[in-house]
Amino acid sequence: MSARRRAWNRLRQDRGGVLGLVIVGAFLIAAVGVWLGAWGQDWAIADGGRWQPPGRDYWFGTNVLGQDVFERALYSVRTAFEIGVVVAVLATALGAVLGAVAGWYSDTWVDGGILWLKGVLDSIPFYLFVAAVAYALQGQAWAMHFAMVATFWTGTGRLVRAEVLKLKSREFVLAARVIGLPGPLILARHVLPNCSHILLVQATLAFVAAIKTEVVLSFLGLGVQDGVSWGLMLAESTQEVLAGQFANFLSASIMLFVLLTGFNLLADAMQDAMDPKQAAL
Amino acid sequence: MNRAAQTPVLSVRRLVVELRGDGHRTRAVDRIDFDLYAGEILALVGESGSGKSKTAEAVMGLIDPARGIVTADCIRLGDTDLHGLGESALRRIRGRDLSMVFQEPMTALDPVFSCGEQLAALYRRHRGYDRRRARQAAALMFARIGFSDPEQVMRSYPHHLSGGMRQRVIVAMALSCRPRVLIADEPTTALDVTTQARVLTQMIALAGETGTALLLITHDLGIVAQYCDRALVMRRGRLVEDAAVRDLFRAPQSPYTAELIAASRGAGA
Amino acid sequence: MRFALLKLLHGILLVLGVTLVSFVLMVWFGPDQTYTLIGKNATTEQIAEVRRELGYDRPFVGRYIDYLVDLATLDLGASNASGEPVARLLARTVPVSLALMLPGFVLGNLLGIALGLAAAARRGRLGDRLISGFSVAGMSISFLVIIILLQVLLSTPYGLDLFPVRGWQVDGPASYAYYVTVPTLSLIFVTLGYNTRFYRAVFIEEAGKDHITTARAFGASQATILWKHVLKNSMVPIMTRVLFSIPLVVISGSLLIETYFGIPGVGRVTFDAITNGDQPVLKAVVGLTAVAFVILQVLAELSYRALDPRLRT
Repeated sequence: MSARRRAWNRLRQDRGGVLGLVIVGAFLIAAVGVWLGAWGQDWAIADGGRWQPPGRDYWFGTNVLGQDVFERALYSVRTAFEIGVVVAVLATALGAVLGAVAGWYSDTWVDGGILWLKGVLDSIPFYLFVAAVAYALQGQAWAMHFAMVATFWTGTGRLVRAEVLKLKSREFVLAARVIGLPGPLILARHVLPNCSHILLVQATLAFVAAIKTEVVLSFLGLGVQDGVSWGLMLAESTQEVLAGQFANFLSASIMLFVLLTGFNLLADAMQDAMDPKQAAL
Repeated sequence: MNRAAQTPVLSVRRLVVELRGDGHRTRAVDRIDFDLYAGEILALVGESGSGKSKTAEAVMGLIDPARGIVTADCIRLGDTDLHGLGESALRRIRGRDLSMVFQEPMTALDPVFSCGEQLAALYRRHRGYDRRRARQAAALMFARIGFSDPEQVMRSYPHHLSGGMRQRVIVAMALSCRPRVLIADEPTTALDVTTQARVLTQMIALAGETGTALLLITHDLGIVAQYCDRALVMRRGRLVEDAAVRDLFRAPQSPYTAELIAASRGAGA
Repeated sequence: MRFALLKLLHGILLVLGVTLVSFVLMVWFGPDQTYTLIGKNATTEQIAEVRRELGYDRPFVGRYIDYLVDLATLDLGASNASGEPVARLLARTVPVSLALMLPGFVLGNLLGIALGLAAAARRGRLGDRLISGFSVAGMSISFLVIIILLQVLLSTPYGLDLFPVRGWQVDGPASYAYYVTVPTLSLIFVTLGYNTRFYRAVFIEEAGKDHITTARAFGASQATILWKHVLKNSMVPIMTRVLFSIPLVVISGSLLIETYFGIPGVGRVTFDAITNGDQPVLKAVVGLTAVAFVILQVLAELSYRALDPRLRT
């Protein structure tokens, strides 16, 4: 049985992992539905009364503007996935490429340069960096994504670099070099596919980090500018809860918590499936 | 020596060790019986996978219950049955009445404490010595195990010492409280040949002085022939032979034993 | 000796890198302050004058060098927004931030170590599963959610109503406890999940090593093994984690907590400076951060030497 098969079997047996997969799947369907226009479209319509309690028309009640909290929470699933997927894919890809290059050309100025960049980005306190980038890009919608990708890639980069260093001396790589295949080709065709397990876990973790970061950024006013997200709902709720209005807070925080737990369980399960020694048994 | 009249210092009956793997179970040790008498050196011989190490771990109570299940009619050390004992009772016995030395000396010692401190800790724990007396006893023990500069070794950290020296430190620790039984699991396999003989002779000499019976686990028949009184041969978890060393080499009862002897002679042992 | 010099060189390059990045972001792309200083009806000469003063007419490299020189000579200037000398601003706000963040940071790590140790000791059993489950939950809750929740529970009539919603009027231990408790609890809850899981992994790795088996074979108790052998051998990864999480937790965290609770510390001041384009303040804070990070690196190296005998020879 190949290592991949065995890992997949272990994943299926891990109850936490299966639960995580189910949760993520459910939210994904919700997000796609919003994107396709099937539901969650009425999040901006403000025709309920102010702060209506949950009822038949408004499942979670309304917010201060009379908007349907449930619709807003549902639309936010799409926002979350958009941010999460973009950041996760780009950050992981960037980390994979830079990490692979650094590892392949290790101990040269290329490696040194990439490591230096990693060090610099890790030294800068994250929210300061994001705030500065968001401001520098003059409130562009992509400022937030850019800042996140620019800092999240370092984790993946470090792991991929270490993995490439390990793989560099393995026979199949040596064989490829002997035949005369160029470095980048070897990296792309032979080395990177062997890092796929690392990349999968890292992408999941980046997704989680991206969503959590969006929440804080939206609170600071640097996050999502148009549309609605859980971050914006929570930012709204900060004053509201002092007045006893919990609809925004509860719906956003609970949905956020469930989705993040799902992803974290999935990431854990994937990691355990690939490296059983680390498992909690 | 009249064996029949002596009571063994270690007595094992129907020991079974069942391991839980990736969803399936294997019997690493399958119903073995043996006795160890005071003052003797008993060899436990077998190839890798024969279950010799698991036997030792089972006697010491070191098998993780999540990984393996140990059953036995008895595992008697003197008057005490180790098999039913709880962890805290076992802890009092380990290091004091029953000791073990492992195969890999390079990683067996704690890197952040000095050798002297690690040995002295045993005196404090099992004999109740105060710090000063424990230090003195430790230095003395290092001298007895053959270190020419015991004080230097006291101050040294494990990474300052060679493999052979580290193994001698561990043997000193194992014999420090004069245990009744010392189990040595391939104690010299990881050392180079010249050091092997030295460490082994020192260990046996010191065990003789402290009155400790020795259960020597090895795959090396040369060691068995040279140092041991009796030998047990294990194969795939079962005991296939139990004889005095002289009889073992002259007239092995089991065909497997004969194979082992022939193989080792062929390899120039 | 060579080793130390090499590390120093790395440190300097790092500082240069950090200052370059922040210079580009905050100064080069920062808002143009000309008009805030003079108003809209200025003459062309006045505009040119101010621009020259602010250095806007100089090329990139020139301005960057000026920036570095200012930092190195600690010529920090005065805040554009309030006119207060930056040095005094920092002297006023840095202690506040430290007093605010340190208790939570320290406790968050101590508790994380204790829980990680407890989980590793009971690996695979109920205690471990509970602690691990709890840490996954901790990692899945947003910082903001925790802050809001704690506020509701502790500072409003819907909960205990014992602590203030915002503010920082500290003039003694009692008022300190009054204002610092909710922020400290928030910080602990946010970091505890991550800390516990990290430390748990470290301890499990260490507990699997051969010398631990030796210790057990010689009769060491579970407590001795954990506290004496596992913990002491894990000090290097622990130290690394603690030191290198300082920028993230203490500095970024202070920005969020201070903004939320209305506490006049460095984090909030920096955030305001970014949105207002208050360059003197930004220059100073960034420089301070970079230097602090290099100091952290040095501290880390020194501590490794102290904690692991193998690094001493």
